[in-house]
Formats: sequence, structure tokens, C-alpha cells
Amino acid sequence: MELEAVIGIEIHVEMKTKTKMFSSSSNVFGADTNTKVSPLDMAFPGTLPVVNKQAVINAIRVCSALHMDIDHELWFDRKNYFYSDLPKGYQITQQRRPIGSNGYVEILCDNSMKKIHIERLHMEEDTCKQIHYADCTLLDYNRAGTPLLEIVSLPEIHNGEEAMKYVDAIRRIVVYSNVSDGKMEEGSLRCDVNISLKEKGQDKLGTKVEIKNLNSLANVEKAINFEIKRQSELIMNNLPVEQETRRFDETHKETVLMRKKTDAVDYKYFTEPNIPPIKLSDEFINDAIKSCPELADVKYERYVKAGLSSQEAYQLLQDKDLSSYYDSCLQYNPKLAKQIWNFLVVDISSYLNKRGETFALFTLKAENIVKLLSIIDKGDISYAQGRKVFEKMCEKELDPNIIVESLNLKQNSNTEEIKAMCLEVIANNNQSVIDYKAGKDRAMSYLVGQVMKTSKGKANPQIVAKLVKEILDSK
Amino acid sequence: MYLDKTIVELHNLLVKKEVTPYELAQEAIENAKNDSNNAFETICEQEALDFAKTLIEPEKDNLFWGIPYVAKDNYSTKGILTTGSSDILKDYVPVFDATVIKKLKEKKAVLIGKTTLDELAMGGSGTTSHKGKTYNPYDKTHTYIIGGSSCGSAASLASGIVPFALGSDTGDSVRKPASYAGLVGFKPTWGRISRYGLFPFAPSLDHVAYFTRSVEDAAIALEILQGHDELDMTSSLKEQCNYFKDLNKDIKGMKIAYIKEIVESVKDKVIIEQFEKTLNILKELGAEVNQVSMDKKLLTAIFGTYYVISCAEATSNNANLDGIKFGLREGNEKTYQEVMFKARTKGFGEFIKRRFIIGSYSLFKENQEELFLRAQKARRKIVNEINKILQNYDLIYLPALGSVRNPFESNVDKLEPNYLIAENHLAIANFAGLPSLTLPIGIDKDFPFGANFLGRAFEEQKVFNVAYALESKLEFKNITAKKVNG
Amino acid sequence: MKEINETLLKECAHNLMFDMKEEEYQTLLNEFHIVQEQLSMIGEIDGLDQEEPMTFPFDCAISYLREDEEKENLTREEALKNAKDVFAGQIKLPKVVG
Repeated sequence: MELEAVIGIEIHVEMKTKTKMFSSSSNVFGADTNTKVSPLDMAFPGTLPVVNKQAVINAIRVCSALHMDIDHELWFDRKNYFYSDLPKGYQITQQRRPIGSNGYVEILCDNSMKKIHIERLHMEEDTCKQIHYADCTLLDYNRAGTPLLEIVSLPEIHNGEEAMKYVDAIRRIVVYSNVSDGKMEEGSLRCDVNISLKEKGQDKLGTKVEIKNLNSLANVEKAINFEIKRQSELIMNNLPVEQETRRFDETHKETVLMRKKTDAVDYKYFTEPNIPPIKLSDEFINDAIKSCPELADVKYERYVKAGLSSQEAYQLLQDKDLSSYYDSCLQYNPKLAKQIWNFLVVDISSYLNKRGETFALFTLKAENIVKLLSIIDKGDISYAQGRKVFEKMCEKELDPNIIVESLNLKQNSNTEEIKAMCLEVIANNNQSVIDYKAGKDRAMSYLVGQVMKTSKGKANPQIVAKLVKEILDSK
Repeated sequence: MYLDKTIVELHNLLVKKEVTPYELAQEAIENAKNDSNNAFETICEQEALDFAKTLIEPEKDNLFWGIPYVAKDNYSTKGILTTGSSDILKDYVPVFDATVIKKLKEKKAVLIGKTTLDELAMGGSGTTSHKGKTYNPYDKTHTYIIGGSSCGSAASLASGIVPFALGSDTGDSVRKPASYAGLVGFKPTWGRISRYGLFPFAPSLDHVAYFTRSVEDAAIALEILQGHDELDMTSSLKEQCNYFKDLNKDIKGMKIAYIKEIVESVKDKVIIEQFEKTLNILKELGAEVNQVSMDKKLLTAIFGTYYVISCAEATSNNANLDGIKFGLREGNEKTYQEVMFKARTKGFGEFIKRRFIIGSYSLFKENQEELFLRAQKARRKIVNEINKILQNYDLIYLPALGSVRNPFESNVDKLEPNYLIAENHLAIANFAGLPSLTLPIGIDKDFPFGANFLGRAFEEQKVFNVAYALESKLEFKNITAKKVNG
Repeated sequence: MKEINETLLKECAHNLMFDMKEEEYQTLLNEFHIVQEQLSMIGEIDGLDQEEPMTFPFDCAISYLREDEEKENLTREEALKNAKDVFAGQIKLPKVVG
């Protein structure tokens, strides 16, 4: 019996709006406990929800990126249940009419694009945060009311890699549209996976198991692959797969039981009577889409056009701050696409890594970085010298030309002058000439080194190498 | 003794400086302390006197300047205990003002106290407050109900404690006690007044509503309370009106309908007689008055429809009352469930618990179609029928209730069709969100009773005008229990 | 629709996080029958099933949304003023498990 996994994924995205979904208290992360709350967030009697415009704009943008049908009228529902982190005793969500329906995202699998269809996207609100201690739980309402997007895929995913790529594709969309930080490890992008096995070619699905709390892309893949293996073994051994919720244990790299699923909870949904239907005009929707920051796949196309390889473009897009810094550089000199890529991805990145910093807080002006790269490109200084200039710039940001000047680094690219130096060095090193002629390559490097020394390091090394070779070969 | 006067009368005295806001506040507090009808949850003596003391120079154009008033204890009042007449909120002190409270404060009206209600506004008898029954000032024997849920506010006006009281109206919670207590009880169009800060019972039916003792005063109050509020998305952006300035007794040509089946369902003959007398007055005033008919099946469905929708919404609205963020919590619980369970078991009265269960049951997936959604469909059907009548008529005019008096202990069959219709038809105005005003039209053996006008959405002015015209031809303007019964 | 009995009603009550006095369940059962009777009567109204369920009293659709501007932050003191058990600027509950 050949088994196949059928996987659907629910993703919750915390939006980084200025205020909450239904109240105008601040939606900032990491503030002192219970200092960013409104009467509504505390569910004080008599408070009413008022829908955040930016949250709606964000939802529209993500819908558009996911090729979804966008509802031109907003309706909200109440999902009723009691829990310690749910202030109102219900959550306002969009059960019956999600803002987005019927979309898809494409992922690259086995060298071909695969469409994963998305059933729905809706807006809702987060609960308050519970911090658990040995003997008690403390509640912080700052998170209560944070705007969320929930994105639900159809069960069209079949393995851990596809799942990981799907989540990554969604993550890139919400990150590049500026909707969310999309940080799985901080919980601003959370995903729940539903997975069941079926016999290949058959329709009948096995029991569905839910995996929660997956806090990285890698864990999505690992958890699913483990779970497929676990369920397959059960089935092969004629053991039942229980309907349950599991979580991924990072240390042991396996999924473990959280709770058995009992009867599905009846959430007693009904239309939220405090929010009238909200009409969204074509104009409003189009504006939201048009003004959306450039999405990752559009950037990708642009990078490839600018001359980057697919791999290079992809690498840039893994870090939004890097990519946006790259874009700032690119506008100063699009011809240096490759050189900029190299300097940012290799040199600046390693500089930042050493300091435990990221591009998010990198403050050097893009204009100056491009100036520096132009100087290198012209051959006025070597790449190695360029790195030194960069380090000086990091100490104190000055125009790189001034630094090059002050360090007296400018390379000599004057062929005549260099040729004179080469002739002089060769004339003084007869043995090396003989060695060269005898086929010893090291002799050549030695001679180039000697010329560089004579020039006090300022001669353009490429020109030196070229001329030394010419002279030797003509002997 | 000033406070058995209307707002307009008091305003004139205040402007002439014959009395000061401080003196009025003192008198109102004295009255409130001597209240014998269990009308008060809280008397805000210090706050009221402190505020009244700051009111020195009369504002000629501000009719609410220095006027003492009371609010039903389901309006959030910053720094002032607000219980909803429920033990679960018996020590809840809000940190914000309801929008209407804020508006009244800005107009320098003086809040004297918070009044009793049927627990969390769920009830029509004025008996389920955690403080027990509220009595009708017209009934010294304490035998007959004043009606609810805005019982304490109604009692405050009927006993001349203040000239204005905020209530709230989800089915008839202001307009019903207005009938039993000889008052003008008014609720505007849904959305005309912001509900921010009003404890929700059933938001799709809830209205800020109020009592006055004259139609003029009712018009004045709407002028200051109306308007869009950015904290309430359901509050309307419709243009604001000058209801008081535009009051007009000329109702010539106004088309008024009364619904045959509802009038016929009224039990007390004295009501019918007086109602017919008022029909003639309206005709004499130049209105065109006609009888119309409505499907009796729909009319008997009002109660069930109301009950299911309101209970369903209520069970959800009150899920925030769990003892965690505010309200009753005794301590020493072992689990969060126990915190909730204890708070809700001890905090809620049995009467509203039953309603919560009925509401919750109606919302269960497998019941929704036959209960909640069916009620919502019936609501639409009833609303459509009423709006059909209102296409041809400016107003619908009806006896407010089926009887003049209603004893606390009653054996009436509440499902008898006539009772169902006569005692519940006021909820139509909530289903359709239409402006509706009850005013006294007669007194029977020392008990007043009222009739009700129902207007088109956002046409409050017509409701005021016709009520104003009728009031001027009757002798029941500004009555109080004392004036009537001595 | 499920058959209604006291056990079911008790379950409903517990689901709503409260309990009632024993005798209240009988009262409630009676009330339930009334509601059901009423609603089945309502079900017989001609053309009822063709109606759309009504949430709002009239067409009150709007076309504006709240601007994303910070306005109403409470102070921590205000936010927690009515909570009975507060520790380190947070509301304290018995340890929540599961």
C-alpha cells in the first residue's frame, strides 16, 4: 500500500498596524505590561469595536498577492467561547464572509511551479498574552486586539518541503507588503498544520492530526516529515491514528501529543451586531493594491533583469532589510548590480554578523556605499583597500573619496609609469626572468610583488600583472 | 420645591437666577435620599454637589445647564459605581464615561444618581435588580409594577426627583414603564444616539432612550444626545436636527394609522375609550387617521422573535463578565475555570441565567436554523410589514400596553394571543429601529396609562410634533404621582 | 434540534460557566417549551423561509473605517483598577493549563 499525505495549513499573521484591530490603543510589541490597552481590549462593558482602516488595506493587499476574490462588503461574526485569554468571551472574526476567498500561491517544487490553492483569508483579533509561572498565570492585555490575518490553504500539500515552501511564500508576501514582521520565532507568523494520510489514488482520508506551535520554517518541514513517518508506521502496523493535537519537540525532533480532540467545540457563530456592513469601493480596493509596497516576486524579476542570477536574487529576498538596502543602492547606479550584491551580501553582511547586527539598523548611506563601489570599479583602489575604506566609513561616515584621499590609497593606473617600474624591477631580477622562462610561475608572482612594493602598493595590480607578463614574454 | 417642573420651566428659573444649580442638586439629592420606591443604586452626592457648585453663570442657550438628572445604572460613569443592578458588577467602577454621559456633562447637566434596573436590563417588570423590586410611585400599596427594565429611572421622574432620566430600550424598557408611570418615554431611530458606554443587552435592538415629563423636554434631550460617535460604528452620520426649535403643533394633513389587531387585543376598556378619544383629537387637529390591518400571526410572533434574538445576543454580550478583569471574584480559586464559574454562578440572578441558556441554545449550530435564524427571519417579515404601512402613513399610533395596571403577582397567561400582542407590540420599534414615543393619555383610578407613536426612521421630528400637539390637548403634561394622587 | 431535558440544560449552563439552583432547571424547562412552541408557530408563517435573516434593523451599511491613529491608551492603573488579583502589573490567575 502506497500512502500519501494530505496537508492543509492555517496561518495566523500578526499585523504591524499602529493600532489594534477594533480599538485605537497602540499595537506596539514589547511595551511594559498592560500599558497599551483601551477599554475595549479589557472588554469593559459598553465598549464597541471600530474597524481599523489600515488592517483592511493590509488584508486587501495580501488578498491581491494571493490572487483572491475580494469581498466588496465587510461583515464580521462572533466566535463564542470561554477561555482565560479571551477578554470579551468571544472573538470578532469573519466566519461567514471572509474578505478574501478562492486564491492561490505558487511554489517551486522539483523545478516546476506548483499552485497551492487558498480557501480563505479573513481578519480577526488576537487574545491577551498569558505568561505561565510555576504556580500562576499572569495576563498582559497589550496583545489583546492585535489585528490578525488568518490564511487557510486547501489540503493540497503533500510533504514537508512543500509545506515549508508554502509557508515561506506566504511569509514573503506579508513581509514585503509591510503587513507583518512575519517572524515565526516571535509568533508574529504562526502556523497550524492539519495532516492526514490516504492511500494513493483513493479519496478516503485517514484521521486528521493537528500540529501546533511550529516556530520556524525548518520545523514545519521536520514536523511534517516526522508526522508522515509516524502515521505511516501506525497504518502499516494496523494501528489507529488518533484524532489529536500535537506539537513539535525541538530537542527530540519529533511531534508529541498535546491533547486528544473531543467533540468539536460549537462556537455559536453569529453576525457581530455592533459592526454594520462596510462597503468597500473599487477605488478603495484598487488604491490599496496599487500603493502596496513591491512584493518579493516582482523584486525577483527586477533583480534578474538587472543582472543577478536567480540564486543571488533569491538570497537577497531572504532578508527584507537587506533587499531594501540593496534597492536603495541600486537606484544610485544600476550598472553596478552585481558589485553591489557582492559587497552587501559578502562584505557588509559579514561585518554585521561579527557585531551581531542586521541590515535593519545599518545606517551608512547607500549613496556612499555606491560611491565606494564606483571607486573600486574604476580601479582607483583595490577591492581589499575598498574594504578598509568601508571600515573607516563605519567608524565615521564620510564621503569615501575623502577617505581614499586621506589614506592616500588611490591606485596608480598610469600605464607608462607602471611600465617604467616593471622594466626597472625586471632588470634588477635576472634570476627570476630565467626561472620564468624555465616555467616557474612563482617567478612571475614574485616580480609583480616587487613592482607593487616599489609603487608602495598603489600600482593597479591588474595592470602590473599584465605588463610584467608582456615584458617577460617579449624577452 | 422645584423639581416637579419640566426642564424648560427650570431653565427659565435658572436663567433668571431664581434658583441655582447647586440648590437644584441639593433638592434632588434630598429627594433621592427620601425615595421610597427602591429607585437608586447609587446617589452621587459629593460629585453632584461639587460639580453644581462650579455652575455660576447661566447659559441662556443651553437648556440642560444646571439641570439635575439620573441615569440607569447600565451607563458607564467614570469613577462612579456602575452595577447594572447585578451582583457580578456590584463593585465595578468604570474608567470611562458613556458618550451620552459625556455629552450631558459637557452641557453641564448634573448627575444625581444611578438608578435600578432589571438585572443587566433583561426584564420588563422592574423586579430582578439585585436590590429587589422597584415600586411604582403611583401605587403606595406596592402591588403593581412600574415596569422595566428602566424601573428606577421611571420612578425617579414619576416621583418628581429629577426632570430627566436616561434609560435604555431593547424591547420596550423605557416606553413600557413610561406608560405605567405617566411619563414621556422616548427612543429615537437606531443609530441616532451613540450606544458607546451603554452596557449591551442585545445590540441590534438596544437603544439609548430616556424619560421626560413633557414632549418639549424630550425634543430638547435628543438635540443634545444625537449625533455620530467615532466610538460607535452603528451611530449614524445623518444630519443633526433642531428638534426643539422645530417643534410644531400644526399636524394638518399628517397621515396616522392605527393597527386594528393591536387595538383589539387591549384588555382594559378604559384604555380603548381614551385611545379613541385621542384619535378624535388627532382628527380635529387635522390629521388623517385610518385603521390598517396586519397579519395576527405575525403580531403574536413578536414575543418569541424578540425573546430568541435578545437572549442569543445577550448571552454573548455578557460573556465578558467572568470575574477576571473586573467584577465579582472571591479568591482562592484553583483554576481559571473556577474563577469564572464562581463569579458567574454567584453573580448572576437565576432569571437571567435562564435567558442566557435559552440564548446560547438558540445559537448552537444544530439549533440555529430553527431558533435564532428563524427569529431573525420573522424579524425581517415583521419589519417589512410595518415599513409597508409607513410607506403610506407618517406615523402609527397605538395604545402602549393592554392594561393600566399589572400586579407583581400575576396569573395571566402570557401566551394568550391578545396578551402576546398587546403587551409586546412596542418591540416592533426595536426590530425596525424606528423612533417611538409613549406619552400619558389617561388616568384610571389614580394610575396613568399611555399611548405610543411610531415614526419612520430618522423622522423623529414628526413623532415629537404629533405628540406635542396631542399633549397640548390633554391634561397630562408633567404629571407626577404627587400631583395626581396628592 | 436536540430533545431538551434537564441534563442537556445543565450541560448548557456549565458550558456558559455557571450553575443554577436545582429547581431552576425545571422552571427553565417550562420556559423552553414555551419558546419552542412559539418558534414552531413562527415557523408556520407563510413565506418565512424565503426571508433573509435580519441582523440590523434597516440598511445601515457604511463606507468609512477608523484611521490607524493611536488614541485611547489607558494607564496601567486604569486598566487594572477593577481586577481583584494583580501582581507585577498583570492580572493574576491560577496557573492555566492546556
